[in-house]
Amino acid sequence: MQTKNTSFIASLKAFLRDPYRVFGVVSVILLLLLTIAPAKDYFSEWHGFQRQYLRFITNRGDAVTLRRHFEGGIQQIWIPKLGVVDRCQTCHVGLTEASLYDVKEQPFRAHPAMPHKLTEFGCVICHRGQGAATTVKEAHASEMAGEEPILPTKYIESSCGQCHHSALEGTPKLNLGRVMLSRYGCVHCHTVTLPDGSKMQATDDPPPLTHIADKTTREWVYAWLKDPVAYSATATMPNFNLSDADASDISAFLMANSKPGVGDTMAVAETHGPAPDPTAGASLYGESFCASCHAAQNAAGNLVGGDLGPELTRVGNKVKPQWLMAWMRNPQKYDPNTPMPQYRWSDAQLKTITAFVMNKSDSDYMANVHLQPATPAQIAHGKALVVEYGCASCHEIAGVPKPDNFGPDLTRIGSKPVVQLVFLPGMEHSLPAYLNQKIRQPRSFGSSFRMPRYNFNTNQVEAVTTELLSHTDRSFDLPAELQVPTVRETNYQPAGHAGQLMTDLNCFSCHRINGHGGDMAPDLSWEGTSVQSPWLDEFLKNPNTLRPALIRRMPKFNFTDAERKELTDYIMNVYQNPAFLRDEMPATGYAPDLVEKGRQLFYSKYACQSCHMVNPDVDKGYIGPTLTKVGSRLNASWIYHYLKDPQALRPGTVEPNQHMSDDDARALTAFLMMQKSGSKGAK
Amino acid sequence: MPGTFASYLEKLENSRVWRSIFRSGRGTSTLHNALAIQQNVFLHLFPTKVRKRMLGLGATWYLGTLTLGTFIVLVVTGVLLMLYYHPSVPLAYSDVKDLQFAVSSGLFLRNLHRWSAHAMVFLAFAHMFRVFYRGAYRAPREFNWVVGVVLLLLTLLLSYTGYLLPWDQLAFWAITVGTNIASAVPLLGDKIRFLLLGGNLVNANALLRFYVLHTVILPLAAFLFLAVHFWRIRKDGGLYVRESEPGVKAKKTSEEQESL
Repeated sequence: MQTKNTSFIASLKAFLRDPYRVFGVVSVILLLLLTIAPAKDYFSEWHGFQRQYLRFITNRGDAVTLRRHFEGGIQQIWIPKLGVVDRCQTCHVGLTEASLYDVKEQPFRAHPAMPHKLTEFGCVICHRGQGAATTVKEAHASEMAGEEPILPTKYIESSCGQCHHSALEGTPKLNLGRVMLSRYGCVHCHTVTLPDGSKMQATDDPPPLTHIADKTTREWVYAWLKDPVAYSATATMPNFNLSDADASDISAFLMANSKPGVGDTMAVAETHGPAPDPTAGASLYGESFCASCHAAQNAAGNLVGGDLGPELTRVGNKVKPQWLMAWMRNPQKYDPNTPMPQYRWSDAQLKTITAFVMNKSDSDYMANVHLQPATPAQIAHGKALVVEYGCASCHEIAGVPKPDNFGPDLTRIGSKPVVQLVFLPGMEHSLPAYLNQKIRQPRSFGSSFRMPRYNFNTNQVEAVTTELLSHTDRSFDLPAELQVPTVRETNYQPAGHAGQLMTDLNCFSCHRINGHGGDMAPDLSWEGTSVQSPWLDEFLKNPNTLRPALIRRMPKFNFTDAERKELTDYIMNVYQNPAFLRDEMPATGYAPDLVEKGRQLFYSKYACQSCHMVNPDVDKGYIGPTLTKVGSRLNASWIYHYLKDPQALRPGTVEPNQHMSDDDARALTAFLMMQKSGSKGAK
Repeated sequence: MPGTFASYLEKLENSRVWRSIFRSGRGTSTLHNALAIQQNVFLHLFPTKVRKRMLGLGATWYLGTLTLGTFIVLVVTGVLLMLYYHPSVPLAYSDVKDLQFAVSSGLFLRNLHRWSAHAMVFLAFAHMFRVFYRGAYRAPREFNWVVGVVLLLLTLLLSYTGYLLPWDQLAFWAITVGTNIASAVPLLGDKIRFLLLGGNLVNANALLRFYVLHTVILPLAAFLFLAVHFWRIRKDGGLYVRESEPGVKAKKTSEEQESL
């Protein structure tokens, strides 16, 4: 072996003694090395995919078309204005080939239908990733500074939210996430600034705790703090994972800190009169449509009712009867910002409804809660905990100021670089995975974190993650004209005595007027042009439903005649549509042949009976409002203009725009105006 | 065949055009060989005569030549890279990405430039160590040693200024740290930093300044000092050979005489 080696080295030495030969050999080696560069180019990944694509389409029926569309080489979408240089189509060759939509094998699938053109925004604005890259790994998974990996498809709706700041039809997850961020009060602690400079506002209504001792007991506060979901499945209050001692101390502090409310208090004795009739309570609860806003579990354990107010399943365990009665009389005394209206019940009715609501209780709940009287040290510790956990970010607590920016600012959370995140062992290293875990189990990152845990299901967690991912750097950098702003809430307040009445009734909790208010009930901005005064007066006296399909209805408010007249006059005179006059068409006196023509149009040409009812014996439509008495309800000019362009008067209505001729609209108006209460109408 | 080829070659070398370019003419005499070197603008920096032994690997390990070789590679690849690169804030990074992903052999070009730069720094140091431990910096070569030190500094500065040009996070922070170190110089520190960056922050001005330094000022300075460096090798008596040094020579002769 040794000799063989030495002889090899000797011969090599002999070979290298000739400088020309060495020069030649070295030159050849260098040349070979230099060919590596162009060879690497030729055997690059994207070349391979393009060759694979050409093989792939050969056996297809549409091979000729696909081959004609195929362009070799690096393909890119370049939109300088948006900073887009996307070379994705270099490998995703068939992205715009509709016939390839069923292909399973990536990268050759066609892109599913989308609201924007590929050439309008490119790929990366929605999918993230590194658009300039032409290798699979760099394009999809690069995490180097500034590069973002591909966004998992389940969060893709977040990208729409970069420009669209109002709810979109195609983005249910994003819409839900947005509502949740406001509804669960995330934005009380975390500031989220939108590209237009406005801040996201919370829509929950955390009750003030200033007079909490009037309302409930320390035991209930303790049980609630320990686990809000045990009290109500729909609790928006999160779980702070408090120890027994901490929960006890906080409840002690809140009770000790509470001051008696001023004004409306009702003697306890009054609630202990003769037991009110339970059926009367149920029917009062029903006719007041409490369930439009409040949910309660029924006997089957299903939650029934709206979510505007708190769930009432175990409310009897929570509130004190005298507080409840005072609250029902005038909720704004206790909480000026409550969406709950004043029902103007009589004392007897108050007693009935209070007894009925107090009966909604669970004897097992709080059965094991026994708290010792608190020492001053425990109360002081309770206050320290209230400050530490930022309770005052949401709740008004006397003596504890609202902290500013209690949680981290989330304005650009969707672009947070992965290098700035701390992951748990075994966790996927990506921003969506981090946010998901943070929302699901905030304390899993360490016991020192103060963020509480919400009782969200998988879908809700994904919705909030999607929402947060929409707050990207890019949403701020995109040209301003691309931003679709959110509908700004105005601070419209009706004036005068009628305005005060509307505030007491909290009309705006459900109705929207001049850009202010809720969306549960119809927009009343042009109600005065729309309806007839006698109908409105009658409706306020005894609200009946216009839409049989709806469960949530307008409650009865027990007005005095003067109040009702004032409200009717105010609505009729103030809420007018400026585009046309209310009385430009007559309420009666239409020629019979015009009415007959309208009837034919109604039943044949426009087939209105598929959604509306004029004759309840024949018509089956229940999507739209019943029209049996529409001639007594609506004004002729409103009907006429509504038929001409429904969306102009009721934006977002499902009523189709039929582009009716003036004659057709007039005939239909005449027919509908004949449908009056008391008359036989269409029969 | 070789005979025929040689005769063609001879004809060519005796032609008027050839002679007008290479004036020394064909011949194997010492004068011819010396003229071939001396009358060529590129070669006249070098000595007309070299000991054959000095051309072997063992004499110098070719470290100086290799350093020059990497420098030439850097100039060639650098000029090619300049065809694709804009020293502006919005374009610099995306141009580097283009080189990586879209330009034919762009990544090869960029990597060649980068690795040659690393190699040049390493080779320059190796060259200096060799010269130092051989004692080749001593008279009459002290001045060329100083020129060599200047060339080392230029190499390091070229390396440093090139670091900013990709305009990524690494570049940004490296230059931020580097210029903050410069600002630690007593009295003039902040002025030096301001001069380097063309402002108080690493921004568009700094990028442009570093680009001009990297592609124009420092390479020109390096060319100048390289010319002096090579020319001085010839003027200082060619490559260093210990045995030919006057002191060593005298000592050796006396030793030889003693042994006799």
